[in-house]
Amino acid sequence: MSARPPRRPAGLRAPDKLVFLLSLVPYLLEQRVVDVADAAAHFGVGEQEIRDAVMLIATSGLPGATGTYQPNDLFDIDWDAFEEDDVIVIVHHVAIDDAPKLSAREAAALIAGLRYLSAAPENAGSASLAALTEKLRAGASGEPSRIAVAEEAVDQTLAEVRRAVASGHRLEFDYLNARGEHRRRRVDPLRIASLGADWYLQAYDQLRDDVRNFRIDRMSGLSITDEPIGDHTGRVIPETLFQASPDDLEVVVDVAPESLPLLADYLADSTSTEVDGRLRVTLRLAHVHGLKRLVAGLPGLVTVIAPKEAREVVAAWAEAGLAGYPDDLSDRDAIEAEV
Amino acid sequence: MIADVASSKPAGESRIPVEDRLFSLVLALLATETGLLKSEILSTVRGYAERYDARGGNANLERQFERDKDDIRDLGIPLETVESPDRPGDNQALRYRIPKGEYDLPVDVRFTADELALLGLAAEVWREASLSADSQRALTKLRSLGIEPREPVIGYAPRLRVRDAAFEPLRQALDKRQRVRFHYLKPGEQAPRLRTVEPYAVVLHEGRWHLHGRDVDAAAPRTFLLSRIVGDVKALPGAPFEPPPADVQDRVLADLQALRLANAADLAVSAGSDAEVRLGKRAVQSDDDAGVIRLHYTDEVVFADELASYGPEVRVLAPASLREAVRARLATVAAAHRAGGVA
Repeated sequence: MSARPPRRPAGLRAPDKLVFLLSLVPYLLEQRVVDVADAAAHFGVGEQEIRDAVMLIATSGLPGATGTYQPNDLFDIDWDAFEEDDVIVIVHHVAIDDAPKLSAREAAALIAGLRYLSAAPENAGSASLAALTEKLRAGASGEPSRIAVAEEAVDQTLAEVRRAVASGHRLEFDYLNARGEHRRRRVDPLRIASLGADWYLQAYDQLRDDVRNFRIDRMSGLSITDEPIGDHTGRVIPETLFQASPDDLEVVVDVAPESLPLLADYLADSTSTEVDGRLRVTLRLAHVHGLKRLVAGLPGLVTVIAPKEAREVVAAWAEAGLAGYPDDLSDRDAIEAEV
Repeated sequence: MIADVASSKPAGESRIPVEDRLFSLVLALLATETGLLKSEILSTVRGYAERYDARGGNANLERQFERDKDDIRDLGIPLETVESPDRPGDNQALRYRIPKGEYDLPVDVRFTADELALLGLAAEVWREASLSADSQRALTKLRSLGIEPREPVIGYAPRLRVRDAAFEPLRQALDKRQRVRFHYLKPGEQAPRLRTVEPYAVVLHEGRWHLHGRDVDAAAPRTFLLSRIVGDVKALPGAPFEPPPADVQDRVLADLQALRLANAADLAVSAGSDAEVRLGKRAVQSDDDAGVIRLHYTDEVVFADELASYGPEVRVLAPASLREAVRARLATVAAAHRAGGVA
């Protein structure tokens, strides 16, 4: 029995609770005799939630011919086993005995999730994913919602890193950080994480005695060593890929309101003031090198206000880029053409 | 003992929790073959019966029933309405039921421990998005089969994020086959234009969400980038539009992929730079000596934004339109940050 930690928030909506009740009944019937603790672990909920649900089920049923919910029309459980031993046994059931179908949206969510997982090397082009998708379709009460995710090409580096994580061996690679510095790294690979199209390795870096995130597309020259990784039980792997640090740089920028979600990962706080139809917000970044790339990639949508040094770094970055096109139109003309 | 339990909960003594009422309604509708009249439901089913007034005036209760029906159908439970053959069109003679055969997960839809582990991971993909509730509900339903999933795949936390505000309203309109209206800023146009669209599919291609549908004014299929939708997406009232062709979503993805392969850019990347390492991984051809790589791209505007972020590390050689797009972007950024600029 896997110990899945309860992760449902206490304030579940009534429809979610209904789904839970409709799913718990066939499970209990299938198991015949089951400990409250085992049922809780299986569904990833607290034991009290299971007890409350069993109490509700045990007193539920059909209104019957007289509309009075007579005992024969109700579920019934072995009350002694339940109250004394925390064991659930349904001794009489009505109306339901099988798992409910998935909704079109539920099936679509899982199908799209599977499609995204196909980017993982061990799943790529896997026949089992296709078969699983077909099963989900067959198990849905309607045509799954038309939400789809493209299968992206598998990056060879990702496949290597995945092997290192799975086998638990130290990994060496050349890493180019956002400052443009190349360095050979030797790390204990712990977890592969992704956000949309971007893949990261979360690894323990001995040099810094800390878990760091490495962009997989910035790695090259990988080699999996023979050395097993150290013992990292109890080490917390950050859930967020963007970690704040006390050395972070604070930068004030003006952003077009519709572009604010694109900066969500960098916002220092939730405050903003309106300046000439734009939002003035404070970003927190590790260094100006990340900033210049971020701002240049959102041309015209984000303008750095302060500090002055950050403005200058961004200006120099764009000017240097512009210098690559000396024979094209002058930039002054271009600005007019753009506006 | 049994009778004690039943009678220890006298009707109406305390407020019946919502899930109790919904559960009782589903049980009652599953147990009936012919269906129940609304009046029978309201007067007998737990959660309604306690508040039912036999003398009439049950408008609130009727509205409650309407909402409950919607909630139940939203969960994929096939709640049917059956017209009386003798009194067609008479709302009071409508019967409600949930056919057991339509409700149960088909017997051949069963999952192995490995498959459930994979589905658990697929659900995790949505952890930070609105599809999270749907995927968690799906997992709860599948757990009723009693199969213990293989230990979760460790060392693996893939996530999809949806940062476009338009995603959720579009997804709902998709399911209900409702027309939507929104302002769309097409590149090259000065101002956003109002569009009316029958949404067919929402797809993720190259890390961006696209809406495909029928543009009602143009009377032709169109594909939109969600990130270019300005302001709210409004669902329009009216009957559901004709269902789109099956697998339209796969066709859209194939079209986008074909579009991507049709566009190729030649880029000069500086040695040892971020651009060389990252763009190089996506190159379909490369001349290492000359430092030139060839890449496919789907949308010139989107790709130009990305290339501009690399500043001097990349220079576009061809096509000319992309070259100009990147140059103009760098000029815009430079002008906005030059000394004596905005601040």
